[in-house]
Amino acid sequence: MNNRLKVLRAEQGWSQQDLADRLGVSRQSVNAIETGRYDPSLPLAFTIAEVFGLPIEAIFLKDGDPQ
Amino acid sequence: METVAPTAGRGPGFWAGLYCASVAILAALRITDAITAPVGLILFVGTMALLIPLVRSAERRGAAKGCMNPVIVRYNRRILTASMGYVLGLGIAIALWNTYDLTGPVVFAIALLPTLPTFAMIWAMGRYLVEEQDEYLRYRTVRAAIISLGLVLAIGIFWGFLEMFELVPHIWAWWVLPVWSVGLGVAQMWMKVRGE
Repeated sequence: MNNRLKVLRAEQGWSQQDLADRLGVSRQSVNAIETGRYDPSLPLAFTIAEVFGLPIEAIFLKDGDPQ
Repeated sequence: METVAPTAGRGPGFWAGLYCASVAILAALRITDAITAPVGLILFVGTMALLIPLVRSAERRGAAKGCMNPVIVRYNRRILTASMGYVLGLGIAIALWNTYDLTGPVVFAIALLPTLPTFAMIWAMGRYLVEEQDEYLRYRTVRAAIISLGLVLAIGIFWGFLEMFELVPHIWAWWVLPVWSVGLGVAQMWMKVRGE
């Protein structure tokens, strides 16, 4: 699964730690999700969507979908 | 990848090296009979104190990397306490076994001395998985534990058949825990090398 987390975070001017603090997870987790090494669970994906005020499908994309 | 702020104090590598060197020196002294078994035990328990700065420096580094939380700190404390209890229990059990002609329920009781702290380690690992709220860290730990379990099973089965065909000597079953612990560390390093 691809995601736009890095771009969205940059738009907000947040560091990985800033986003991690907002999500209540480790910076390592944010890094792993951003680099596509880990796909978050549905509850965490909903929390991410909530933090950015966007629907989940605007952040997470299926493999092959244009970014 | 974002930069990580440097941490104060010596790194975990320094303390790990110091601990290993101390254990090696103690082992050499004991093997050459330069020190008696009780003195060796006391010195070895003292050497275990080096694990405290080792764990603390690892926690500082983890905090700087943004992957430290109170659950991990609690887990480290529990494992450290259990490890010290294990060394102490094992030393006392061996000393009693070598000194006295023990039989029956007393042997059962002294076998529990090193066993109970290892049960505490297994419990600590279970509690960590229950208490860890960060799903990615939990996933990494579970993955490493399963890889290590596979390693223990593979080595155990292969060794068992080699032993059955009298190619290798018998080893005690409690070796599963140290082998699993080493496997856990190796699996975590392997995952790190792979960028997981």
